[in-house]
Amino acid sequence: MMSPRLSRRISAAVAAATLLTGCSSGGTDTAASPAASPSTASGTASDTVRYAAPGSPSNAPRDPHGLLPGESDLVRMALTYDVLTLPGPGGRTLPRLATAWEPDRSLTRWKITIRGDATFSDGRPVRAADALFSLRRMGEKAAENFGRMEMFDLDASTVLGATSFELVTEKPYAEVGKALEGATFVVPEGSTDFTRPVPGSGPFRPAGGDAQAAVFERNDDWWGPKPPSRRIEVRAVPDPQARGEALLSGQVDLAAAVPAALVRQHAENPSVTLVRRPGATLYPLVMRTDRKPFDDRRVREAVRLTLDREQLLQVAFLGFGEVGNDLLTPKDPTSPAGLPQRTRDVERARRLMAEAGHAGGVDLTLHSTTAYPGMDSAATLIAQQLAEIGIRAKVELAPADTYFSTVWGKEPFYLGYLGGIPFLDVVRVALKPGSATNETAWEDETWHAGLEAALAEADESERRTRLGALQSRLRDEGGYAVWALSDRLDLAKPGLTGVPEGIGFSAGFIDQVALGG
Amino acid sequence: MAADRARLGGVLRLIVRAGAPPACASVVIFLLAEALPGDSAVVLGGGRATDEQLARLRAAAGLDRPLAERYADWLAGMLSGEPGHSLLTGRPVAELIGGRIPVTLTLAGAALALAVPLMALLAWSAVRGPRPLRPVITGLVVGGAALPQVALAALLVALLSAGWRLVPPVSLLPVGVPAWSRPDLLVLPVLTLALPAAAYGAALLRGAVADAVSRPFVRDADLRGMSATAVALRYVLPAVAPAAARLLAVVGGGLVAGTAVVETLFGLAGLGELLVSAIGGRDLPVVQAVAMLATVVVGAGLTAADAVAWAVDPRGGAAR
Repeated sequence: MMSPRLSRRISAAVAAATLLTGCSSGGTDTAASPAASPSTASGTASDTVRYAAPGSPSNAPRDPHGLLPGESDLVRMALTYDVLTLPGPGGRTLPRLATAWEPDRSLTRWKITIRGDATFSDGRPVRAADALFSLRRMGEKAAENFGRMEMFDLDASTVLGATSFELVTEKPYAEVGKALEGATFVVPEGSTDFTRPVPGSGPFRPAGGDAQAAVFERNDDWWGPKPPSRRIEVRAVPDPQARGEALLSGQVDLAAAVPAALVRQHAENPSVTLVRRPGATLYPLVMRTDRKPFDDRRVREAVRLTLDREQLLQVAFLGFGEVGNDLLTPKDPTSPAGLPQRTRDVERARRLMAEAGHAGGVDLTLHSTTAYPGMDSAATLIAQQLAEIGIRAKVELAPADTYFSTVWGKEPFYLGYLGGIPFLDVVRVALKPGSATNETAWEDETWHAGLEAALAEADESERRTRLGALQSRLRDEGGYAVWALSDRLDLAKPGLTGVPEGIGFSAGFIDQVALGG
Repeated sequence: MAADRARLGGVLRLIVRAGAPPACASVVIFLLAEALPGDSAVVLGGGRATDEQLARLRAAAGLDRPLAERYADWLAGMLSGEPGHSLLTGRPVAELIGGRIPVTLTLAGAALALAVPLMALLAWSAVRGPRPLRPVITGLVVGGAALPQVALAALLVALLSAGWRLVPPVSLLPVGVPAWSRPDLLVLPVLTLALPAAAYGAALLRGAVADAVSRPFVRDADLRGMSATAVALRYVLPAVAPAAARLLAVVGGGLVAGTAVVETLFGLAGLGELLVSAIGGRDLPVVQAVAMLATVVVGAGLTAADAVAWAVDPRGGAAR
């Protein structure tokens, strides 16, 4: 029989991976650095970069448009297929297969232009029809990709020519470039059977492998900057500790998402390099605004004022991260700047509780799970901290499997999970009015009307201001308390270059990695 | 006549023993897999799909059909050698399993090759070893049998890997290289599998050996001055063979089950890791096929053990 500890580690890996890539559509730091210098002749061992990424080889899909359960799956797709756009530094959208995206005056009809020099591995050119077909497939598989295409009316969208198509949105939507970031893998029109590999036009081509590893060889016909490495091996390794140990023992050159404890242990080790990606993960405290006692805004505010964020950061993330300011997407370029850091004010919190009629305290159940590292200890500590204002919270832990079916989106008080995704993605998966996934029951009509208006605003700086104001209001009035953000920690062999720095989708584009020397 | 009937009964029993367990197991495996809370639709939805979306995913996977109908379909598929497709990735289950058999076979085979002689040695020395050592060996055997694999793995990693730096703490096999060609990567997984199995087997076998050596003809042989080895081979071995054979089958089954933990801990992509992941993902066709395969293998082992027992003593071997 399996020990509870092991099964916990296994399910943690599985579940963490599930949301990490699934919900991520775009980091905000940098994209795969373009134009890295081409490496020397091929054929030497250092021409191969070996990457151990979260994921499980047993549920590794071949379909790029459904759920990509692990980072390793995202990486495989990003090597094989081209995407339309990429998240770039500072929240800028970078062109990839798409070179231009231009709206009409109404912001509902967008002309997307794709490059004409990309070809699939079977020799066919990549046409606009292939791109639109791929987006439609994503639309059909909405349940498996968090409704990524839901802002588009794909039936009304049409192919204009070999290299352009018109993309129609349901409502005025100024962020189409962003909506196409990261996940829009383009496959040949008419591809339906994904139980076999389908040709791609990406920087690498699948070249076999085994049950655990997928091998990729450089696509010398790729239109983009020539990848410096000839070969990349992608391994799906579910256990975070095993990924780290594999790097330390030289079995791989890059290990993604390793445990903080292991990183701390090897802080002084000269034979490894640490890659830190700030803001990659947060476990927001979810308070349903339509259930007692959280239907009273004063109670939600009291909770936010009581959390000892620094202590939580140290305990849950071993200090590898930063304290939260109740903003769900502080790394998003539209995140409001200059807000004061929320600090602890237990006196005021007690007063608010008394005003809300809870002077005698209140009994609650705080749900958490053993699925994510540190989330159980965070819940215990939060319960201790809240006791100071009379909230007697009993912590209940669920395994990963039942957490998503019985706790998530159902219970009024629990720790959630967000994988460092941009603001508009959070809106889509967790703040949509009337949706079962609206976990805090955030049904504020003026807020949602404000969001619609912001997305209909053509001027970028004005739009950013409006989106920022919405996030600011959500921070103060909504049902979330964001107490800390954790870094994603990767370990690399010294001299490895071209590792993408951003969070979310940008982390999956590793075509420019190379071993130095 | 009576001997013929006993012979026939023995053969029949063997057939029933071989056939009944897989049949029962198929029902149990199917129902257990079904009883897991949640399903593949929830997994595919990433925890954020609406109820309508989940219903559509379930319908697409055929999960909304009646239980009996799905069992019949599944059984027919298994019997015809077509275990279906993964609910998560659409990949053929046979392909998923086929790619993992070599690793698990190498691992379990090497572990068995180590565990069997070790088990015999431990059981023998606990009974017939130097008198002062016997309680020590018995203690080791009992302690080893009680040690969880995860704890042993941590211990072995601390000693052999972190401490003496003999072998790496994880075992990612280089691409395209068969597992057996990298013994350094197999040391820790094989030891983790074999040591508790040997101890467990020895703990159970010790009793049988003790029984055997206390029999009059063994004591008689001792008195006649026969060498210990000769006594062991001539008298003790045949006496414990039926028990040992069955024990071996059970220990072998335990080894197969143990690969689930060991493969995951050391990063090997074998059948055990496949089973663990498939359970996590509620990928029923994969769970059921791997579990069935393990059941058939263990069942075959038990049948072989019965055959050995029956060959040694046709009258009572199979019933003892």
